[in-house]
Amino acid sequence: MSRAIDKLPKGWSGLTSDFSSDQKAFKGMSWGKAMMWIFILSDTFIFSCFLISYLTGRASTTVPWPDSSIVFGLDVFGTSVPLLLIAIMTFILISSSGTMAIAVKYGYEKNRKLCAIFLLLTALCGAAFVGMQAFEWTKLIFHEGVSPWGNPFGAVQFGSFFFMITGFHGTHVTVGVIFLLIMARKTWRGDFNTGRRGYFTTMKSDYVAIEIMGLYWHFVDLVWVFIFAFFYLW
Amino acid sequence: MAQYNNNKVKTHKIGIYLWIWGLLFVFSFFSYMVDYLNFEGSLRWTLIVLFMLSKAALIVAVFMHLFWERYAIVNILLWPMTLMLLFVWIMVAESEYTLLTRIFYFILGS
Amino acid sequence: MSNTSISPAESPDQELYHSKSWWTTYVFSQDAKYIGIQYLCAATAIALVGLVLSVLMRIQLAFPELNVLDPSTYYQSITMHGMIMVIFFLTALFLGGFGNLLIPLMIGSRDMAFPYVNMMSFWVFALSLLVLMASYLVPGGPTGAGWTLYPPQAITSGTPGNLWGLVLMLVSVVLFIVGFTMGGLNYVITVLQSRTRGMTLMRMPLTVWGIFVATIIALLAFPALFVGGLMLLLDTVLGTSFYMPAIIATSNLGKDLSTGGGSPLLFQHLFWFFGHPEVYIVALPAFGIVSDLFSVHARKNIFGYRMMVWAIIAIAVLSFIVWAHHMYIAGFTPWFGFFFASTTLMIAIPTGIKMYNWLLTLWKGNIRFTVPMLFALGFFITFLNGGLTGMFMGNVGTDIALSDTYFVVAHFHFTIGIAPVLVVFGAIYHWFPLMTGRMLNEGLGKLHFWFTFIGAYMIYFPMHYQGLQGVPRRYFEMYDSVHATSAGLNQFITITTIVVAIAQLIFFYNVFTSVRAGKRANRNPWNANSLEWQTPEMPPKHGNWGREQPVVYRWAYDYSVPGADKDYIPQNLSPRKIGKAKVEKT
Repeated sequence: MSRAIDKLPKGWSGLTSDFSSDQKAFKGMSWGKAMMWIFILSDTFIFSCFLISYLTGRASTTVPWPDSSIVFGLDVFGTSVPLLLIAIMTFILISSSGTMAIAVKYGYEKNRKLCAIFLLLTALCGAAFVGMQAFEWTKLIFHEGVSPWGNPFGAVQFGSFFFMITGFHGTHVTVGVIFLLIMARKTWRGDFNTGRRGYFTTMKSDYVAIEIMGLYWHFVDLVWVFIFAFFYLW
Repeated sequence: MAQYNNNKVKTHKIGIYLWIWGLLFVFSFFSYMVDYLNFEGSLRWTLIVLFMLSKAALIVAVFMHLFWERYAIVNILLWPMTLMLLFVWIMVAESEYTLLTRIFYFILGS
Repeated sequence: MSNTSISPAESPDQELYHSKSWWTTYVFSQDAKYIGIQYLCAATAIALVGLVLSVLMRIQLAFPELNVLDPSTYYQSITMHGMIMVIFFLTALFLGGFGNLLIPLMIGSRDMAFPYVNMMSFWVFALSLLVLMASYLVPGGPTGAGWTLYPPQAITSGTPGNLWGLVLMLVSVVLFIVGFTMGGLNYVITVLQSRTRGMTLMRMPLTVWGIFVATIIALLAFPALFVGGLMLLLDTVLGTSFYMPAIIATSNLGKDLSTGGGSPLLFQHLFWFFGHPEVYIVALPAFGIVSDLFSVHARKNIFGYRMMVWAIIAIAVLSFIVWAHHMYIAGFTPWFGFFFASTTLMIAIPTGIKMYNWLLTLWKGNIRFTVPMLFALGFFITFLNGGLTGMFMGNVGTDIALSDTYFVVAHFHFTIGIAPVLVVFGAIYHWFPLMTGRMLNEGLGKLHFWFTFIGAYMIYFPMHYQGLQGVPRRYFEMYDSVHATSAGLNQFITITTIVVAIAQLIFFYNVFTSVRAGKRANRNPWNANSLEWQTPEMPPKHGNWGREQPVVYRWAYDYSVPGADKDYIPQNLSPRKIGKAKVEKT
């Protein structure tokens, strides 16, 4: 099927023609989706500032930094496996990203049931992630003595940066899970097929909302990719 | 009416999501192996960053669909994120200087 | 001949929320025009608090024998004054106030893209104001760490309000950032995605460009403040040591600090990574508004419109790489001084281009000395002054002598104290008919202008001299060590401050009486081209445009076009109706 948007110039000349055109600069993109992208840009700056602060704290300390593979290791059947819990968490979050992308696909195909199921799977993975993060925190605080103001492994700031960064990320995941559940309910109920009006904003529902939710969820996964690399692996 | 709206969105086949999902698993596994096999120094550093950027690129391009979006939004998003690297570079230099002064004044000078 | 082929509509007409009760019409309004007025009122109210604080501070400086403020209260006052004026007054007013009021109207849209989120943004802002003021009620009072809140001093004892006051200040700033993000996303998406047919980005009035680019900067700069402030909050409340260095722990500064190893410089970098773009967030909307004021009241197109747009964008990009010029004497890596000094001097170039273009706009224009034009001229002169003094401090060598003196105080008050405030006044006089359908009194306006402009000059110009003498800033008392001429100037400055502060009552009297009994304005009292004056009703009603959004055929600056029968051609006037006018292709 030929859509109007396919007739626009592509590539770099498309960039100049889009920005010099009237009405929309991002052709074919709903306002909500554009807003979510710009919000993600802003949130990326927040997490970048967190990671840059962590980098500065770690690089300028004269006290040695704790070895993360030891601190975050799990004792499984008597052997200490480094970073096992973190690896599981990473796989779970990546899977949730996969289920989210598939949910968006079924959303656009107006497949109410499969979309809702995959949204629920995503929410489940997200909740599991938060649960494991909470377990990690409990283990570190109560069993290992790692706190925001000190730890027995090395530099003092290790605990503070860890709890702050993972706390912020975990909060984002939790908020995402709540919204996923709301979206799943709306999808199951058929709100996106009928265009039922929302309770707070009284605006009509549309399947593009699932894509917007997806963008947020993938962003949360993206942040974890960076945290995993910089904090746990480095 | 040239309405550039999403009502006739072309969806991808499910295969592409499963392939990328798999690739992400593979890259994560390799990143984990870098730590498990205790690579050291700049090799460790390079591999970690390489796998991280590959995973990030896959998520952004395929899952977040940016590969198929128009250049306008792609450039608006990617350039500010790239310029953050400048802030990173400056803070790296700054941390080195802080460490230098700490070693100089507290350890050497004491 | 302007472009006559207009593309068809790309999306269906926006569906608006229609309020049904008094609460949803006037209090929880989702109409951007009302939200804009709410922001204007709230920001002005908090600015008055800031003004009173500044008067008290000046009295303490000039007449210390009166003991009107003790040292703690003085430092609390500088902190609150600074934070209020920069963030809660100017940022909220330009972006939230003028942004909401003018952006949808000037681009031909019916409202902002997300009216519900827009409404929430105002109430989060209002909450942040309450939290800020609540710091006066907690034990210890508000924080006295200066608006820059530098640790470790902000947290150690000796600084007033170093626990509760600091916590509330940081919480209110975090709330402000959340509220601002909600609004800011609205302004950016509305400008990018919701312009009417024919309204390309290069046909938008410069007011929109200024506010739009400022919002983009803010969305990218506030994260650094958020992160820096959050870590400061954790240092205060939880005893983490992001910023608290080991030397504090080993010395006995009256607080049990068993932590250490943090870096105070990290806070400074984060703060100024936000702080420098912040001053451009305040300045760029002022630049945009001034361009429009000059154009309308001199009946002449803005000189070099394209370069004005690119200069705004260049300033925005460069503003992110100059921040450490606030830290030349802080002790950062010395080699960076060269880098930041170079970029700081570079940013003067696009700013200079704008100054020349404003001057050339006025040259051979048909200048009407209306109140808005007077305020715009006042902006030009004061910003020129402030910008020039910035060159002294942009260079590392001269900054070493001038840093933390009254020279700095004079510089930033000229550039973000007087100049944008004059623009605020000019803008209110200019767009008052849009908000209320009535004109403000011209005579009172001129009186207000002359008192404010001359008075502000008399207050801040002598501070340059004091700074060159080496008089330090943020001192609560000028001791005998200060040169007699500097000390004497204090009294002159303070008396002038009191007079100028009282003169602002003229403005408020004017506003309050004109709202009800001012001269009724006709539909386009200034004969302006931009779309906000072309609505079917004046003041515009909900939905702005009636049945159909306007179609735009040209830029906003076709004033005094040769061959036209009137000296202005509105943006949405059909090309068939412009007769023999020799318009440029835009």
